[in-house]
Amino acid sequence: MEFLRVEGLSKSFAPPRGGAPFVVFDKVHFSIDKGEFVCIVGHSGCGKSTILNILAGLEEASAGVMIMAGREIAGPSLDRGVVFQGHALMPWLTARKNVEFAVKSRWRDADRAKTDEICQRYLDLVGLTGSEHKKPAELSGGMKQRVGIARAFAIEPKMLLLDEPFGALDALTRGVIQDELLKICAATRQTVFMITHDVDEAILLADRILLMSNGPDARIAEIVVNTLPRDRSRNTIHKDPQYYPIRNHLVDFLVSRSKEFTERQPANYDPHHPPQVTPGLGAGPPPIPALPAAPRPAATPLVAVIRN
Amino acid sequence: MMPRSGRLASALLSMLIFALFLAIWQAATRPSVGTQVADTEYAKMLGSAAASGQKSAMPSPKDVGLKMWEHIKDPFYVRGTNDQGIGIQIAYSIGRVTVGFGLAALVAIPLGFVIGMSPLLYRAFDPFIQVLKPISPLAWMPLALYTIKDSATSSIFVIFICSLWPMLINTAFGVSAVRREWLNVARTLEVSPMRTAFRVVLPAAAPTIMTGMRISIGIAWLVIVAAEMLVGGTGIGYFVWNEWNNLSISNILCAILLIGLVGMLLDQILARLARAVTYPE
Amino acid sequence: MSGFKNPYDPNIKLSAGCACGRHSTPAEHDAALEADSLASGSEALHARVVESAVMRALFPQDEVRRRFLRAVGAGTALSAISTFFPLGAAKEAFAQSGGLEKQSVKIGFIPITCATPIIMSLPMGFYARQGLNVDVVKTAGWAVIRDKTLNKEYDAAHMLSPMPIAITMGVGSNPIPYTVPAIENINGQAITLAIKHKDKRDPKQWKGFKFAVPFDYSMHNYLLRYYLAEHGIDPDRDVQIRAVPPPEMVANLRADNIDGFLAPDPVNQRAVYDGVGFIHLLTKELWDGHPCCAFAASKEFVTTNPNTYRALLKAIVDATAYAAKPENRKQIAEAIAPVNFLNQPVTVVEQVLTGNYADGLGNILKVPNRIDFDPFPWQSFAVWIMSQMKRWGQVKGNIDYAKIAREVFLATDAAKIMKEAGLKPPATASKKFSVMGKEFDPAKPDAYIESFAIKRT
Repeated sequence: MEFLRVEGLSKSFAPPRGGAPFVVFDKVHFSIDKGEFVCIVGHSGCGKSTILNILAGLEEASAGVMIMAGREIAGPSLDRGVVFQGHALMPWLTARKNVEFAVKSRWRDADRAKTDEICQRYLDLVGLTGSEHKKPAELSGGMKQRVGIARAFAIEPKMLLLDEPFGALDALTRGVIQDELLKICAATRQTVFMITHDVDEAILLADRILLMSNGPDARIAEIVVNTLPRDRSRNTIHKDPQYYPIRNHLVDFLVSRSKEFTERQPANYDPHHPPQVTPGLGAGPPPIPALPAAPRPAATPLVAVIRN
Repeated sequence: MMPRSGRLASALLSMLIFALFLAIWQAATRPSVGTQVADTEYAKMLGSAAASGQKSAMPSPKDVGLKMWEHIKDPFYVRGTNDQGIGIQIAYSIGRVTVGFGLAALVAIPLGFVIGMSPLLYRAFDPFIQVLKPISPLAWMPLALYTIKDSATSSIFVIFICSLWPMLINTAFGVSAVRREWLNVARTLEVSPMRTAFRVVLPAAAPTIMTGMRISIGIAWLVIVAAEMLVGGTGIGYFVWNEWNNLSISNILCAILLIGLVGMLLDQILARLARAVTYPE
Repeated sequence: MSGFKNPYDPNIKLSAGCACGRHSTPAEHDAALEADSLASGSEALHARVVESAVMRALFPQDEVRRRFLRAVGAGTALSAISTFFPLGAAKEAFAQSGGLEKQSVKIGFIPITCATPIIMSLPMGFYARQGLNVDVVKTAGWAVIRDKTLNKEYDAAHMLSPMPIAITMGVGSNPIPYTVPAIENINGQAITLAIKHKDKRDPKQWKGFKFAVPFDYSMHNYLLRYYLAEHGIDPDRDVQIRAVPPPEMVANLRADNIDGFLAPDPVNQRAVYDGVGFIHLLTKELWDGHPCCAFAASKEFVTTNPNTYRALLKAIVDATAYAAKPENRKQIAEAIAPVNFLNQPVTVVEQVLTGNYADGLGNILKVPNRIDFDPFPWQSFAVWIMSQMKRWGQVKGNIDYAKIAREVFLATDAAKIMKEAGLKPPATASKKFSVMGKEFDPAKPDAYIESFAIKRT
């Protein structure tokens, strides 16, 4: 069921010395279903962070509307929790107190016991039991990011926005936290919108991947449907035959097509309905134009065909 | 933090430097031989230095040490309005500093907060701050005495007006420089402006504010000594002036030493407070 | 009156008694007056004080007053005044001690020997004797003393003679009527030079010297300039004169920043004591009896607290009378030298007060009037008397001193006598005095200035 709909989102700036306005992105349309995990991928400068900030209410769009659960949204809200790129923890508060700050903002009248319980629950969820009383300076990069995640989850937002949350972490830590996130989202059925540069991460976590062309004047070029089975695991995902086709498709896009798209849009490109593709199901079949609320194509029969 | 051995080494070195300084001082003030005045009755009318044909000299460390001991032995005596123990004089000075500095903090920090949060106000107030900031207390004092007339209030006003600026400027700067992402966190959590100010902006700017306060207390202490020398009555500044009248350099040196020590103490107190609110980035 | 005296003896006056009426012969009257003046009793002293105050109010010009008295005789003068002015009532008013409106009084002073009567009255009990609880507060400078008196932190203060007049006229502050100087000290300053100039006693050798005075608009500056000019030195072109606070003068002398200074004591004696300078000339030698400092209170204080003011005045009068006697000066020096007051070594203060001092060149000099204290108050006291008399209905309306003075002159035929002696009557009287042997006639200021070789006109 459609939860968030973005229509005609556009961001442009008036240049300081006059002249034509500088357009970051334009005519961005997409939607997210309840419980869906959507990633957005694209080169720097295409405006992904701007889209996220607009969704978070921290920035204003130059044009376009966002409708969540049937209502137009504008400005920041507790309904949309954010995990920032650099953890954004308050260094004078302990891990627990950072989470508590969020909890207190959400549930103003909760008593001490309730607040404590919620904080502890989410800190345990991210695997930080025992480190509650440490200040951010005493935590590693990964632990700090986990506190950020705990804080965002603790307010039980309707939608979670993640801005390259693992970009600053080393590969091993990243892997661990990705697994945790996967677990949590599976358990809570959280609706998530995430920005990432890491294609493997996108394939692991996302149900759909939005591909943005290069800026300026960026668009959503394609939407890749993740046809891998839902219960993915980092250890086994690369063994799935669908993995590399999807991966190659994504890499291909990033390497060449994102740029080509900007120079020359394909003939039948409609920004209202960016093409939804399923590279995992084999190269060859032309892209199927995405219909609103189109059901997910069943993956099994084709796999059975290829295997056989 | 320096390791134990490092701290011991630096302490020993400090003491060595001090001992060297005392030795040089003692040698420099060694009494030289002059011609003794012949007429004993005449000699009795002169000071000891003049009686041996010289000008009165700089006191030696021993003289100053003995004088210091005299003062410390009995710091709270009252032998008259104009003659009170050094403990009492310092207490008066500290009292004035506390009031003046306290008032300045009460004005500077909220005002600095407001200015820091609004770029418009920052720019509007800036010219006034820049012009008033460099004015010396010795220039404010006559104006204060002329308008306020009461000397006690004037002294406190002069402390106030001189120690206001570092706190004001630092607070404004600290507040305006709060990391955007913390403010964004507060925004996404729908935190009210009041709560944001007290729970995010204030703790974030606190180290800068405390630095401003630390600078200000130093200025306040400096100013009070100067102000008391102009206005007189009580206080360590008055004590210095009174002893200057008597050309008692030993007493003046004692006073200088105590002024330095108290200044250091005040600074340390604020440094402690500053450490309590500092956070590693 | 005795009928046994020969009526034909031209030396004996037949008209009975003296003009004041209390004595049988004028001679007896004069003798009684003489005895009166020697009486050390407080009451007699106070009576004297009142008479003197009234005299001064009527005849402000010193020289005129003195010659007048010499012309008609003290007794005659006073009796004449009594006719027009209720002198008896005035003396009685002063002798009373009414309830003090204010027992605790604060007086500000500058720690120089000019303030001796004000200071000594505390440790020596003169204030206490009048039932007053006085706090004498050491003050940092003349400007601060002025400000603290204006804002009533001090009830009265030690001031430079011109200051109360300036305050009354509103120079440098709101005009607030101040009583003109009540008590004067006279002399008490000196010119001191650095020891290295001990062979340059002739001012003509002082070209290029740097001098210090406490303040540009002060007696000290003018005296120094006069002295230099008299010896052919141009005070602006041949030497430098700068303003330096007295405590810093000795230090500056020691550091060779200045070659000499003209300052109030005890700064001069202190320079000798520290082996830094020698006393070249006492200002007494320049102008004996020159005014210096005064004791001043606001007119408001005088009129709203008349009894307190009277008690203060009595205390200071007693103190100055005590200080005027040379045998008391040593004791006074010991009382005012401690840290709470002048904060100087006792011997320094003693040498200033006794006039028995070391001059810095190996000589012990004896000049008893090196500093002197005039126990008789001035016109402000006349103001007080008037307020009391009005209060008790003894006098209605204002007292026109000038008018009374003229009438007194007429009554005693003094005008004719003074004219014969070559004096002018009060209406166009001139106050002449001598500085360094040269007379000044205020009626002819231009001629006076022209007579100087060095001038700026």
